[in-house]
Amino acid sequence: MRTYILTIIAALTLPASVFAYTSPGKPVGLVNDFAKVLSNEDSITLGTKLLELNKTTGIELVVVTVPSLGDETNETYAVKLFEEWGIGASKTASQKTGALRDGGILILVAPNDKEARIEVGYGLEGTITDTQANAVVQKVMIPAFKTGNYSQGIDDAVDALSGLIAGDPSTTANYSQSGAQSNSSSEKSSPFAYFFFVVIAFNILVKVLGKTKSWWLGGVLGATAGAVIGFIWGFFYLGIGAVVILTILGLIFDFIVSKHPPRDGGGGGFWPIFFGGGGSGSGFGGGGFGGFGGGGSGGGGASGRW
Amino acid sequence: MTTSKKIILSILALVLLVILYGWTTYNSLVVMKEATTMQWQQVETQYQRRVDLIPNLVAAAQGVMKQETAVFTALADARAHYAGATTQNDKVAAANQVESAFGRLLAVVENYPTLKSSEAVQSLMVENAGTENRIAVERQRYNTDVQAYEVAIKRFPRSVIASMFGFSDITYFQSDAGADKAPQVKF
Repeated sequence: MRTYILTIIAALTLPASVFAYTSPGKPVGLVNDFAKVLSNEDSITLGTKLLELNKTTGIELVVVTVPSLGDETNETYAVKLFEEWGIGASKTASQKTGALRDGGILILVAPNDKEARIEVGYGLEGTITDTQANAVVQKVMIPAFKTGNYSQGIDDAVDALSGLIAGDPSTTANYSQSGAQSNSSSEKSSPFAYFFFVVIAFNILVKVLGKTKSWWLGGVLGATAGAVIGFIWGFFYLGIGAVVILTILGLIFDFIVSKHPPRDGGGGGFWPIFFGGGGSGSGFGGGGFGGFGGGGSGGGGASGRW
Repeated sequence: MTTSKKIILSILALVLLVILYGWTTYNSLVVMKEATTMQWQQVETQYQRRVDLIPNLVAAAQGVMKQETAVFTALADARAHYAGATTQNDKVAAANQVESAFGRLLAVVENYPTLKSSEAVQSLMVENAGTENRIAVERQRYNTDVQAYEVAIKRFPRSVIASMFGFSDITYFQSDAGADKAPQVKF
């Protein structure tokens, strides 16, 4: 039952864009070998290299191999995956950490479709031009992919892109001419994290406000919360609106829970649907990867077929 | 509290809620409308990017292709047309004209193998393909934003607020019927 509810919630909170193409899944790190063309060792070496690049430059260079592009071309697939995962730093993330805004690059390889793409985030379009991206695809990736040597091609491409990011003159000279002919948030911190936070806060409120028989306390709390919100955003009208709305909501809320106080010890009484005692903690799978920064891309980069 | 006082208070609360609803709805519609405007700017940025490629391509190709005056005239016309366009519809029309003139030039370049394999033309073709892709991406996002806005102003009860404050329809971007086809080569 619980899984069922969670599935519905998950379906409702997923961004609509996900349904337009088949997502390969959640990112597992900087190297996402969904097509299983890299050996474990190669994945780890590559991952270390990418992590190092991320630490020194703040740029998120992500490698993804997919078994199939479905109905999409590699161009549209790359843009949608980039958008879904939010590769690179968002505006707020960049203000916080100083990382380049929209500084993300996606290397997408579809071995079965024989297509590959380097999708360059908005923030790096000046650093890695389409011509340079195209040269990397044509000179390094495609020749290696033709012989089935995916790890070599991807590794060399990562080196080339790192060199271009660092402004290394010999790399820049190497890739400033096109090889052959060819082609080119939004904030999403996990909705589940918010959801569980809200559920827990909600349960605490039910317990506290339900204990008191009076129903003015909720209104006072609402007004305070509204004032705080107005203060944080420094927005006068928003503040007044928040105070008024939250006061009313608080009054109604306290009124209802005071009429139906929660029973002591577990079970949420009036609110069974919100997972009883509020003990449900960690929402998502125990993976160590925290996701990307929420950056965007606009179709910059280059593709190749072989 | 007497009953009449209670009723008056309830009505006041209700009126307040309605006003607040109208207020927040109005603001959210403004935000959505602005989003479409901003996204359209993104489309225009990419249009401009392609227009800016023209002089480079012309400079690279003109020396070798002196006799192809029709192609270069068409490019120059399209570029001037785009520069003079002010409304959204004009810009779309002009951008489509640029696209087809560009396509014609690239098709003609096929007949000049040495020119085609030259580094300058190769680079420009890559840049052109990249620009095409960017335009496609930004157009698609524009349509997504317009769709969100259109749904918002048409769905009850927001539609009431929308019509009260004159939130009008925004047109979707529709590419020209012929724009997605390969351009015809004429000599």
